[in-house]
Amino acid sequence: MSMPATAWWTPVALSADVPPRMVIPATLPVGPIAVWRSQSGQVTANHDRCPHRGMRLSHGFVRGEKLSCIYHGWSFGKEGGCTAIPAHPKVTPPASIHCGVMPTVEQDGLIWVASAQPDTAPPVFDQYQPLRMLNFCACIDRIKTVCDASSRDPATDTYVTATLAGFVTRLIVTPLNETETNVFILVSPDLSTDQKIAISRAAEVLRNLCERPSPEGQQT
Amino acid sequence: MSFPMQDEWYPVAMLSDLHRQGRDTLLLGQPIHAARDPNGIPIVTTQNGQHLVTIERFGHLWTSLGTPRKDLFSIPEADQPGRTLVDVGVVRVKCSPLRAVENFLDIAHFPFVHTDILGAEPHTEVENYQVEIREDSDEVWATKVKFFQPQAAKSAEGGITTDYMYRVPLPTCSVLYKTCPPRPAEWDVICLFVQPLTEELCDVWPWMALFDDETPLTDMIHFQQLIFLQDRSILENQLPRRLPLDPGMEVPTRADMTSVAYRRWLKRHNFTYGAQLVAK
Ligand code: FES
Ligand SMILES: [Fe+2]
Repeated sequence: MSMPATAWWTPVALSADVPPRMVIPATLPVGPIAVWRSQSGQVTANHDRCPHRGMRLSHGFVRGEKLSCIYHGWSFGKEGGCTAIPAHPKVTPPASIHCGVMPTVEQDGLIWVASAQPDTAPPVFDQYQPLRMLNFCACIDRIKTVCDASSRDPATDTYVTATLAGFVTRLIVTPLNETETNVFILVSPDLSTDQKIAISRAAEVLRNLCERPSPEGQQT
Repeated sequence: MSFPMQDEWYPVAMLSDLHRQGRDTLLLGQPIHAARDPNGIPIVTTQNGQHLVTIERFGHLWTSLGTPRKDLFSIPEADQPGRTLVDVGVVRVKCSPLRAVENFLDIAHFPFVHTDILGAEPHTEVENYQVEIREDSDEVWATKVKFFQPQAAKSAEGGITTDYMYRVPLPTCSVLYKTCPPRPAEWDVICLFVQPLTEELCDVWPWMALFDDETPLTDMIHFQQLIFLQDRSILENQLPRRLPLDPGMEVPTRADMTSVAYRRWLKRHNFTYGAQLVAK
């Protein structure tokens, strides 16, 4: 990526994959996060680690506008502050206890998270909507090669164009580490369900291609 | 390589399930073999054929890679006549052996992890209890621990406030004494014997000495296994993987006094296998 990962938006999930009162694990280049939607619909992202005894908060549960840890039930609000410690119901938790909330934007069906507040908003993809997210065991360069790098958007460096099942799609590619990449597939909103299913299948074929060693016999 | 924890005792097999062909396993990262010799005597050998010291106690075979400073601890209550001794079996957990013990010392998780069995909302409050490091025996003790339990044991009907005492006689072993529903004057004894395979992998051998003639043995075993499987789902998802011994990384409260004392005791003895130190 041309932008430093610490100050840039990373797509972490489709809005549809996080319904109200749901929490899921996700990955930022800086580490694991928990992404959750409150009862009223607001999305929050925080470190996937409870400050109490280190339990993953993505295993927790959402009640109302709070995320609770599954281990001892500590609750955290949308600002990340601890709001309740069930072992001490009469005690107001000190403000110093928090779970590290990160800037989050929900836009056109995607949830974007940054580990520090970026200067700009996440990119807009006119005429495209997210279809699904796939995790590729392949590096970003390999995906670019397989998809034809010449079609990569040079201005923002945020997506790759790929033709899947005969349709032009945009892939938002996010490297998680040297060998793993998250790929969000964006398609035209006018497609039928059958067409979307065909694209989804083609995306899995693309993943297999990318995960297979390259013709020269080496993984690029 | 020598480090303080190698001079301690560890469980490496269940005696009732130890045979001639034996069991290949690990202790503190070292491959060992636990078996019975032709006379039925349990033996533990290292890869280069060295025989390690052994003790048969509490239904398990115990050994040490080094030279233990003292005999394996005793549990006088477990010798009382009339108790049922229960070998629960082994549960492999991908976690630090020290995290496994710390979880066993914790009651505040009962309503959330052992929901409707060992705890239930809204009965989440942990009242103050007493914790000490007993200098004479060099053990961590927590006493006067009380907690509301919807179903405290297989023999308990309905909810009761249960009394507990916790004891840590060895870095990877803990003994829990809890109210015994059929005999209010006595304590049930539930032990967690942890075999550290590596710093982030352990075999947990729960063992119990209970007053309960009613419940079939298999039911008692299943009940305890269910509890430990619930704990495993926690233990395999804590970060960092190793137990942080220095303050700052995690935030304890009054309910965690036993855990705080356990960590302090570990640090004092340099029992750091499975621990994370700031310097690391
Ligand atoms: S670890 Fe999260 S509440 Fe205890
Ligand atoms: Fe537990």
